[in-house]
Amino acid sequence: MSNILVIEDDDIMLKAIRNILRKDGHEVITAKDGKEAFEKLDNEQYDIVMTDLMMPYANGLEVVSRIRSNSEKRNVGIIVCSSVGNEETITEAFRLGADDYLKKPIMAGELMIRIRKLLANRSGNVKLVTKKK
Amino acid sequence: MGVTFVEIASGFFETSVFIYGVALLLIYALLAIMSFLNIALFLRKESYTDYKVIVGSPLAPGISVIAPAFNEGLTIISNVRSLLTFDYPNYEVIIINDGSTDDTLEKVINEFSLVKVDFAYDIKLSAKPVRGVYKSRDEAYAKLIVVDKENGKAKADATNVGINVSNFPYFLCTDVDCILHEQTLGMLIRPMLEEENMRVIATGATLRMANSCEVDEGVLIAIKAPRPLLARFQELEYIRSFVMGKMGWSYINAVPNVSGGLGMFDKEIAVKAGGYDPASFGEDMELRMRMSRYVYDNKIKASVRYIPTTLCWTEGPTSVKIFMRQRTRWARGLLQLMLAHKKMLFNPAYGRVGLIVFPYNFFFELLAPVVEFLGIIYYLFLIYFGLVNWPYAIILLIFVYTYSVMISSLSVLWDQLTFQYYKTWKDVIRVIAMVFVEMLIYHPLIVVFSLRGYWFQLTNRKHSWGNMQRAGFKKKSDDKPKKPQPAVSAS
Amino acid sequence: MWNDLVELLFQAYEQFSLLPLFIEIALAFIIIAIAATIIAYGAIMYKRYKSYVHEKRVAFINPIIEDLITEQVLLNDSLGKDIPTEEIEFNPEALANKVYKKPFVRQILIDTLIQYRKNFRGEVGDLLRKLYLDMGLDKDSFAKMKSVRWEKKIKAVVELTQMDITISDVTILPLTNSTNASLRAAARNAYIQLSKNEPFKFFDIATEPLLPWDQLEMFKIITTTKDIAIPNFSRWVSYSTNKSVVSFCLKLIAHYDQQSAIPAVMELLNNKDHYFRADAISCLGKLSAEAAEEKMVKIYNHQPLNCQLEILKAMGNIASGKYLEFLKSEFLFSSNFDIRMNAARAIIKHNTQNSRLLVEELMEMTYEENQLIIKHCLNPLIKY
Repeated sequence: MSNILVIEDDDIMLKAIRNILRKDGHEVITAKDGKEAFEKLDNEQYDIVMTDLMMPYANGLEVVSRIRSNSEKRNVGIIVCSSVGNEETITEAFRLGADDYLKKPIMAGELMIRIRKLLANRSGNVKLVTKKK
Repeated sequence: MGVTFVEIASGFFETSVFIYGVALLLIYALLAIMSFLNIALFLRKESYTDYKVIVGSPLAPGISVIAPAFNEGLTIISNVRSLLTFDYPNYEVIIINDGSTDDTLEKVINEFSLVKVDFAYDIKLSAKPVRGVYKSRDEAYAKLIVVDKENGKAKADATNVGINVSNFPYFLCTDVDCILHEQTLGMLIRPMLEEENMRVIATGATLRMANSCEVDEGVLIAIKAPRPLLARFQELEYIRSFVMGKMGWSYINAVPNVSGGLGMFDKEIAVKAGGYDPASFGEDMELRMRMSRYVYDNKIKASVRYIPTTLCWTEGPTSVKIFMRQRTRWARGLLQLMLAHKKMLFNPAYGRVGLIVFPYNFFFELLAPVVEFLGIIYYLFLIYFGLVNWPYAIILLIFVYTYSVMISSLSVLWDQLTFQYYKTWKDVIRVIAMVFVEMLIYHPLIVVFSLRGYWFQLTNRKHSWGNMQRAGFKKKSDDKPKKPQPAVSAS
Repeated sequence: MWNDLVELLFQAYEQFSLLPLFIEIALAFIIIAIAATIIAYGAIMYKRYKSYVHEKRVAFINPIIEDLITEQVLLNDSLGKDIPTEEIEFNPEALANKVYKKPFVRQILIDTLIQYRKNFRGEVGDLLRKLYLDMGLDKDSFAKMKSVRWEKKIKAVVELTQMDITISDVTILPLTNSTNASLRAAARNAYIQLSKNEPFKFFDIATEPLLPWDQLEMFKIITTTKDIAIPNFSRWVSYSTNKSVVSFCLKLIAHYDQQSAIPAVMELLNNKDHYFRADAISCLGKLSAEAAEEKMVKIYNHQPLNCQLEILKAMGNIASGKYLEFLKSEFLFSSNFDIRMNAARAIIKHNTQNSRLLVEELMEMTYEENQLIIKHCLNPLIKY
């Protein structure tokens, strides 16, 4: 079972994603703004973090940047999910280290597939790391 | 002979004051009606609008958010952070460190991993020298630009530097310690994008007091009416001035001023008009006047619009001393501006600005304290000679009082119709209570401080710079020009 | 008793009529002001009470609606099994709850469904639409269309558009040229999304301007609606007399990279309106229209500043390498800062061996401010 942190300031979307992912068999923890997100990131380990871009306290790019700059959390899969669709923002997100970018409105089925793929890749990576040791 | 002269003089004085008073009351009544119509129109449009559309659009025009900071070390981090979280896809945040003597700059550099960069920009508006431009190494803060400059002793100077550095066709002028609504950019750009056949050169929204609001790291948690008496009076004054005054004037495209605390501008026009004037005591209204002159001189059909929603919360002065400085400065600014642009008065070449905005501000904002003061002297004179008809005098006094109470009460109602910011009745009552005592406590203060300002301006004309230094950014929440320009003052 | 009262009033009136006019007026206004003040506070109380009740109701109904959507749509077991949406059935009992008969609940339901549709497309989006139809909410929206209040009409049009419900051409086409700008915009958006055969027909007949604010929504609808037939927008660039339609088409041409439109867009370089010309130049740049470079350089000297800057930007996008010399001389000899800045940026954007050598060369031969411009443009931390 995988641990997913969903960061999203739209209440409807937050609950909907939580329900969908739980049904798909994931453990879901939610955060409704940047501040809560940072607290929850500090407290626990996640396999995947899914974040919105525009939220109170801190924007999603900061979340991405902070995860990637923390050596312990390098392996976390990051999906950015936002209604912002301009090219610049999307490339920025990828450059900072996001693994995937979903533009709202999203397809629930697609989200689940991407999460599964990301989890599969991730476990692959972890194995590689342990082999090297 | 002497008696007849006094009679004629007093007759003349009474008649002109009577006409003046009637005109003023009619204007307020008219403003109440126009603002109601304008708010109703706004609310109808809001009922189906979704600002998320602009968030998701690649066509959203770019906006530069310009926020000067002077000795804001205590709160700068959370303030900058909150400026970086607007719900808008295409903007940059330009923080101007106006030669702070505290650790404002160091704090920002550390927190956002800034480095000094070779930054080329055109000095379109002259201002104090820039010591350095900083950008973040962390791409999450790519929107942020921090400019370190020498202190210019005026917000205008700092904002001009921000305009020079900015990259987008629109700019939002604010203060770093203002708390802004996350939808500010979308809501203020909208009027710019939906007017037919006219270029909207500036937009603004309502400001309110942040004094007793619950704020956490630059994010507004709960909106509350201020508790300190002075701030409470200002809250009422701002509501009246924005929700009734500016919205009313906006209905007929005659907004006198876009507040320095929050305003969005068309950069091209603002730059061509010459930007902010650092020597002005009321640089926000001054810029608006110059932009108007520019558009009329160049035959551009332009407008300035306001929306009734509160998008900005600012700390109002709570000590009478600081409040006095603020209002003295505003009054100086108004007089200075009226003298500088006097050629616009009743000048049909400047359209509504020449025929409505300017005359109104000249007669009913600039002269109001003077007329009121003379009226009181006149009454004292009558009392001294036992010439007062007391029943009539009292009736007139009650008349003025009830009328001003009515106007303020209607403003509170219009505000409540727009959006119910206060969650509890207590907050509403706290503001309403001020309606009834404002004329007795707050209003006399404003009259005295305004006269003080006029006096300073008239006597110190040559030393205005020296005064600026005292009046500039000296203390936090000092007399910064977040000016509501009370378009509707009590009585 | 009655007589006494009448007597009293009569006396009062007599007294009143003896007063000077201005006191009479003052007294009258005192009464009006007091009355208006009382009414104002009455209205505040009423308004606050009403929203209090509304909030309570919303707080009560929201969880019910959320549960409905979660159970019937989001967690519907038929999802993800390749069952056509039309065949997925909802639990009739869940939909039959009496609360869904109340008008205010239905409105909240519509608004909530739209919120979900803004977050979800695909199968979930389709199922949300089916729920809207199965609950007969489309009838509510159509009823609103008949309202005399324009904002209700707009709300109805927006709801139907969001839910992808067809509105007959007879109803919607006249509204696309309404004098009410907002209604016009909503109707146009609806028409584009819902008209299956000729979604862009109104471009031909649009006489009223297409405001920038309305372009935002329309652009989104055009670019996100599936199965929409994207026409060749150059048609309107050549023939439309409506400037705003043309300028909108330029943005669409750039978005869809319609190379075939280049000749039509180039025609606009001769247009009298310089804002318009600037839009056309920008569009050519985004299309990387090499064919337009020569013409742009030729007209460059006669252009106002905004068009010159757009030309330089466009040359940076096209980056054919043929006009590096031109850019170089603009950079070295122009007295205008913005021109030098954009020329430098255009050179750097080429990102070829030649251009990199040129940058080095320029760096050595030019003066301090120009060197600063080059450093500025080369710095990856600076975006603009």
